[in-house]
Amino acid sequence: MAAPVPWACCAVLAAAAAVVYTQRHSPQEAPHVQYERLGSDVTLPCGTANWDAAVTWRVNGTDLAPDLLNGSQLVLRGLELGHSGLYACFHRDSWHLRHQVLLHVGLPPREPVLSCRSNTYPKGFYCSWHLPTPTYIPNTFNVTVLHGSKIMVCEKDPALKNRCHIRYMHLFSTIKYKVSISVSNALGHNATAITFDEFTIVKPDPPENVVARPVPSNPRRLEVTWQTPSTWPDPESFPLKFFLRYRPLILDQWQHVELSDGTAHTITDAYAGKEYIIQVAAKDNEIGTWSDWSVAAHATPWTEEPRHLTTEAQAPETTTSTTSSLAPPPTTKICDPGELGSGGGPSAPFLISVPVTVALAAAATTANSLLI
Amino acid sequence: MLPAAAEPAAGDSWGMLACLCTVLWHLPAVPALNRTGDPGPGPSIQKTYDLTRYLEHQLRSLAGTYLNYLGPPFNEPDFNPPRLGAETLPRATVNLDVWQNLSDKLRLTQNYEAYSHLLCYLRGLNRQAATAELRRSLAHFCTSLQGLLGSIAGVMAALGYPLPQPLPGTEPTWSPDPAHSDFLQKMDDFWLLKELQTWLWRSAKDFNRLKKKMQPPAAAVTLRLEAHGF
Repeated sequence: MAAPVPWACCAVLAAAAAVVYTQRHSPQEAPHVQYERLGSDVTLPCGTANWDAAVTWRVNGTDLAPDLLNGSQLVLRGLELGHSGLYACFHRDSWHLRHQVLLHVGLPPREPVLSCRSNTYPKGFYCSWHLPTPTYIPNTFNVTVLHGSKIMVCEKDPALKNRCHIRYMHLFSTIKYKVSISVSNALGHNATAITFDEFTIVKPDPPENVVARPVPSNPRRLEVTWQTPSTWPDPESFPLKFFLRYRPLILDQWQHVELSDGTAHTITDAYAGKEYIIQVAAKDNEIGTWSDWSVAAHATPWTEEPRHLTTEAQAPETTTSTTSSLAPPPTTKICDPGELGSGGGPSAPFLISVPVTVALAAAATTANSLLI
Repeated sequence: MLPAAAEPAAGDSWGMLACLCTVLWHLPAVPALNRTGDPGPGPSIQKTYDLTRYLEHQLRSLAGTYLNYLGPPFNEPDFNPPRLGAETLPRATVNLDVWQNLSDKLRLTQNYEAYSHLLCYLRGLNRQAATAELRRSLAHFCTSLQGLLGSIAGVMAALGYPLPQPLPGTEPTWSPDPAHSDFLQKMDDFWLLKELQTWLWRSAKDFNRLKKKMQPPAAAVTLRLEAHGF
């Protein structure tokens, strides 16, 4: 048998057949991408076919009813988002694919919303933007930052697509910054700009790690501590002041305290036994606006243990600071008119000089135990 | 604490200006702070800081009134003109790294020199102001600003820094440029107020920095005991 020649012949024939097959069944070109406006009407011609050619249209592989056709053209009225898809027209008899259209239904962009903020003063500021309504098709944004006539670089945020960062080169500038953004997609274009002074956009992040603790033996006190936000780069030269608000969960009215220094405060007028919600906000001492409120802390003031009707009833009256209870002896209790209903021992004003020493020791041990 | 009050505005205003500016530049005559007990420069730095806050607050209402007097576009919030002219105004703007690394002496000197210039310009503004009420507000502000200058001088004296002496011929002078149109003159006024406001913000930060540097660490402990209400 003369094997090579007939085998070669078959191989060539098979290859030729494959080529012809793919030519007949694959598109002459990649699908034509088309963007159309939501609510509009569109007529899709079947490529270069004559108007009176006999064609069938399919969308995503599903046949379309012939009543949508105008000759060989597909007519879609009142486009909805659901009309997006891959449209293909075939020669009716041979099922030869004539044309493909990848249709995206969307909207031109409306005016973007742009805002800038400095939570890292004096290092820099960031700008973020978004569209008020979706376009359903891809958009590209272009941000430019001008300081007077000087163009500044806005570095894209590594994580967030709609944010970029600008570093301050100069501080205390009298010249305003102008940030412009333009957005465009296949259906349209829009832009906006904002102008501001360096000082007006300063807004720190909220304070961190807000913790509220009851104060032992003080049924109307709560001790609140927090930290300056970690994003604020230089609290020494750019100190923050704080605003604290608190209320018992059962009431709607907030109490407010403004603190110009320190990261701790003791609430002294809490309602005994009620759970409190506490929040803190921060602001640069001189410029800018208040931060958002911090994550809320919850705490309930200290309440005395209920007495048991046993012979041990006498014991709490005579405990000293050497027992496991960290409360100072009631007979040496500090006279505090605010501590009503404390159920403790008698107040003894003439013993004030003594409690100072004892309470200091007790407070110290309390502080130590709290730090465990 | 404040230096001698300014002479009344009478007679040749140009001569008065030159005279006043000379007075300001020779402020070393201001008596040093009472240093018995010597609490250090801390309290006077705090006082200077408080003065900048007070002045900034005062300036807000003064600038609002004055810009309204100038009329649009100067009193429009979006007004964003290019910085042309007003070259002799002391600029608060400074490179971030340079500002952070300023020595105490240089920091204080820059503040002192800036307010000396600004006060001179402000007095020139006062000379031109049309309404009596505006002149009154400006005069009051000038007095407060002079107080700030004295306070800064006090801090410098307490720290042993010499007050800057002007070279002859470089004393800040101010006169309305006859070639300037009315509009350009108003632009100069606008930038003067803007620069003044920015300097007051900068000074607050400058004195914060000085305050922290001078603060003894024991102060923190004192605060904690007070917080316990004993």
